[in-house]
Amino acid sequence: MAVSFDRALIGHEFDVVEHPPVTAEQLVAFARALGTTDPAYTEPGPELRAHPTYCVRFHGRRPYPDRLPSGLEYRRGMDAGKDVEFGVPIRPGDAITQRSTLHDVYEKTGRSGTMTFVVLRITLTNQRGERVAVIDNRFMHR
Amino acid sequence: MGRTFADVEEGDELPPSDVELGAEQIRAYAGAAGMWAPRFTDDEAARLEGLPGMIAPGVLSMGLLVDLVEGWAGVGSLRRLGTTFRGVVRPGRLRLCGAVTQRDDAARTVELDVWLENGDGERSVIGTATVAFG
Repeated sequence: MAVSFDRALIGHEFDVVEHPPVTAEQLVAFARALGTTDPAYTEPGPELRAHPTYCVRFHGRRPYPDRLPSGLEYRRGMDAGKDVEFGVPIRPGDAITQRSTLHDVYEKTGRSGTMTFVVLRITLTNQRGERVAVIDNRFMHR
Repeated sequence: MGRTFADVEEGDELPPSDVELGAEQIRAYAGAAGMWAPRFTDDEAARLEGLPGMIAPGVLSMGLLVDLVEGWAGVGSLRRLGTTFRGVVRPGRLRLCGAVTQRDDAARTVELDVWLENGDGERSVIGTATVAFG
């Protein structure tokens, strides 16, 4: 699917969400559901921290920016992969702010035709303004 | 105790980890991760979406790869993980693998290739990771 696309939309911040503080119970439940056994992630106490992939647990209000060309709707995209840079760990009581920007849109031609990729960059910071994670989500559209 | 930077050489392979990923575990993860979608919970609903049956969320595969890397290098050592979801991951036996591709003496970091093989030996998830040693 070839798209004509306004490059000025790149970098557009389309969603900001301040999440309520995370609880130790949520961190432990997530780690146990994943099957992790390391006590740093599963045992309540002063050493408890979120499993690194807990950062994908946060969901925004709007999964996709407005004003993308028709055909690039969130529900039609396939999760093609993620790049995550990990910052400071999430601890119980941390209140995470999530900012979503449109990071890139590009096309790739493969055996099955042309695919369009939408890359969203999610930046998570804690209540001290420290960076928790930067997640680049790639969604593929055929 | 843990592995140190001096222990690591380019070409080293991480000890592979075999995981039996059950349908119940995928459902539990989808619930805990707030990803309650039919394709992660139900074979019939997944087939209606054109999938071969229920599948695991890509981020579950990422979580398993994190545990592979941190089991080798220690909790808190992972700086970056980039993945490509090439194929679906279905319930069943999986193998998690990794290998050291580069060592940065100045930064005391190493680059890894990591991947998840399904029961047929296909690499359903591939990726790279950066690990820092104190």
